Amino acid sequence: MALPIVSRGTVPAGELPEFHKFVCPPGSGGDNPDPLPATFSFKRNLLVGIDLNLPDGGKVPMWVIEDPDAPSAQQRTFPSRTIRIPQGALVHADVGCQGNTHTIHWHGIEPTPMNDGVGHTSFEVDGHFNYQFQPRQAGTFFYHCHKNTVLHFEMGLYGLLIIDPPDPAAPAVPVTYSVGGPGFVARFNPLALVSTDHAIHYDVEAFWVADSIDSRWHTLGHNAFMQKCDDQHPVDPDTFTQDGFLNDFRPDIFVLTGIPRRINDTTPFAATDSPLFGSLVAPTVKVGQTLLIRVLNADYIIQRFTLGVDAEVIAMDGHALGVPPFQKYSNLIPLPSGTPFQLTSAMRWDLIVKPTVAGPIPATVEFINQITGKLLYTARTTITVTQD
Amino acid sequence: MNRRNFLKTGMAGIAFLSLKTLGCSSATDNYVGTEFDLTIGAGLFEMIDGRSVFMWSFEDQRNVPRMPGPVIQVKEGDPVRIHVYNSLKENHSFAVLGVPGTDTGPIAPGESVAVTFNAPAAGTYLYLDPLNAPVNRVLGLHGAMIVMPKAGNTPYGAPTSAVQQLFNDLGTTPQFPKFALSPAGWDPARFRIWLQHQIDPIFNNQAQADFLAGRASTVQAADMQAKFLPRYFTINGKAGAFASHDPDISLDGRIGQPMLVRILNAGLYTHSNHLHANHFYVTAVNGVVQDNVIFIDSYHIFPEDRVDWLVPFVRPPDIAGDESIQLRNLIPNELAMVLGNVQQSPLIYPMHCHMEISQTAAGGNYPQGSVTHFNFLGDVDGVDYPNSNGM
Repeated sequence: MALPIVSRGTVPAGELPEFHKFVCPPGSGGDNPDPLPATFSFKRNLLVGIDLNLPDGGKVPMWVIEDPDAPSAQQRTFPSRTIRIPQGALVHADVGCQGNTHTIHWHGIEPTPMNDGVGHTSFEVDGHFNYQFQPRQAGTFFYHCHKNTVLHFEMGLYGLLIIDPPDPAAPAVPVTYSVGGPGFVARFNPLALVSTDHAIHYDVEAFWVADSIDSRWHTLGHNAFMQKCDDQHPVDPDTFTQDGFLNDFRPDIFVLTGIPRRINDTTPFAATDSPLFGSLVAPTVKVGQTLLIRVLNADYIIQRFTLGVDAEVIAMDGHALGVPPFQKYSNLIPLPSGTPFQLTSAMRWDLIVKPTVAGPIPATVEFINQITGKLLYTARTTITVTQD
Repeated sequence: MNRRNFLKTGMAGIAFLSLKTLGCSSATDNYVGTEFDLTIGAGLFEMIDGRSVFMWSFEDQRNVPRMPGPVIQVKEGDPVRIHVYNSLKENHSFAVLGVPGTDTGPIAPGESVAVTFNAPAAGTYLYLDPLNAPVNRVLGLHGAMIVMPKAGNTPYGAPTSAVQQLFNDLGTTPQFPKFALSPAGWDPARFRIWLQHQIDPIFNNQAQADFLAGRASTVQAADMQAKFLPRYFTINGKAGAFASHDPDISLDGRIGQPMLVRILNAGLYTHSNHLHANHFYVTAVNGVVQDNVIFIDSYHIFPEDRVDWLVPFVRPPDIAGDESIQLRNLIPNELAMVLGNVQQSPLIYPMHCHMEISQTAAGGNYPQGSVTHFNFLGDVDGVDYPNSNGM
């Protein structure tokens, strides 16, 4: 009995170059094609290899994006060093690649395709390239390499990107705030007279960048399992690798903002775990202060967060809820103590907590398999509230 | 299996269930039918890497197998009659998920059953074979049913005030300037359906062996639930470069031409769909029109979910420079650049699932997975970018 065959499609005449570029993005670099004078500049280089040290003395090789202008102990970290930009700045990001081509995609930031960092719709950086963009929304974003992304992102090529709003009392003064606080964050203000009024002060800033690692993937090469380039037959079946395992993600290490735990290690995450990131994961805040928690799923699985204190969701994906004009149609979301919420990859929520009682506040992050729904790991941490 | 031994009778992609559909093309007629014939059959579906996989499918009236099944488009409240014939060797059925009165119940091999119902509230629905869940749906027996409202300027018969306000504001407010050459508001013809699915060939191969041996399928639900590890990820049956260049999948428009995207997930893998260049509004989730319409760049779709997005097609907000200057005058050098033999015009961005495993095929070959393109063809004042002709 002959079964009918349904074709995957054919490459239309004249679209061969597009299909080839999809498989084999070109390298390019140099100046931005339509440059404007920058008001804010920074540099990033990729990739560099570092070891992630595990509590039991083991190590996992990671790939990170270097900040060559940081103090030396902070140049090569996992996650890659946080970028903070004043809202509205005209930004030049000088990105350097050595040895292999890469890109940087500024996730949630919306520039032109040449500045969007996606190889197959533009190019991959060969040498240096000056990315240009002008972030108009204050909020929580992130940056990551967008080449062989399934592997490069998992290997650690990402960092936080924060767009800071000005102090409403000095709206014409562009500022950035220190990681950890204090500062201002975009939040709907029902009494706002101008757009810059939609911001509140926070005293302490935490970052819950939840991730997981499959250490089997961390022996792979840069171009692992990529398709072969054939400009005449870009989707010829023979150009496809058949033996890859990048569809098979079995995390054995779980991470909160760069702090790792093996799957069988249930030790809670504490401020003492890391000089750079510990207090960002397990913050200390006083009664009456405002705590901002920026939550990001930097993973390939489902994450479920539960806090043991009332909180408020003020922003999603870098944009503050309720703030007109674009968010006229949304509202702030109260999150009563104990109410879980789920994020999938790249989703980020900003939460505000204003504790009224001293003592430890528990929080958990549950890592859940995205096919079976099985709970893989529960990370526990604590927000410490002091009287003063 | 040598594909040259078989007659190629179909092409992957979405098609509307219509007497006017011919060959591989997709109907763009607003054919609103009330009686539809579906045959449950099987075919070999070519994956992105050229390998063919056996799948069951709902075939349209010309017995062309389709994965996903043909789109059923009806109007809210209208009577609908669906006549289903089972040509396979085991029981199958038809039902619209979440809509009472649409389930045929088991149809024995060689038998037909018809079901009649009134089209439910306007929105996006998944139809499927719910038997031996999730096996029959995952092996290909699924499709989209879309229900149009009787009246109004939104996709819904009873929009919430937030959704109504959003659609009223499109093209009439400073934040949503109107495209010069179209009327204000969302054009109801501007929508896409993205039916996401995943394929683990191990189960398809087992069903194929059963089919060729003439016996009922032996694929076990508990097996599939426990061991499903997809190797292919599709949108409307296509992946990677093909999904990105398919005009029924890619988002195409000028600044000021919003588009509705109806997303469904027929498989077992949770996707986290991320749009570059614009944030989008989530207007409905699983039939519930939203009171709190969030504006985000990445959103989940769990198995069997349906999620509607309104993509505003605003000028990407973080392009450097004076926002009052038309883009063609602000970035002329970018639009003129040729990289990799491809001119950087029109402006092309991706939409892709961010659970990046879904960007692979056969365990690698990034980005030949669940991805498509988001194409800005011209400025809001009606002047197109180079190479936008015919799109």
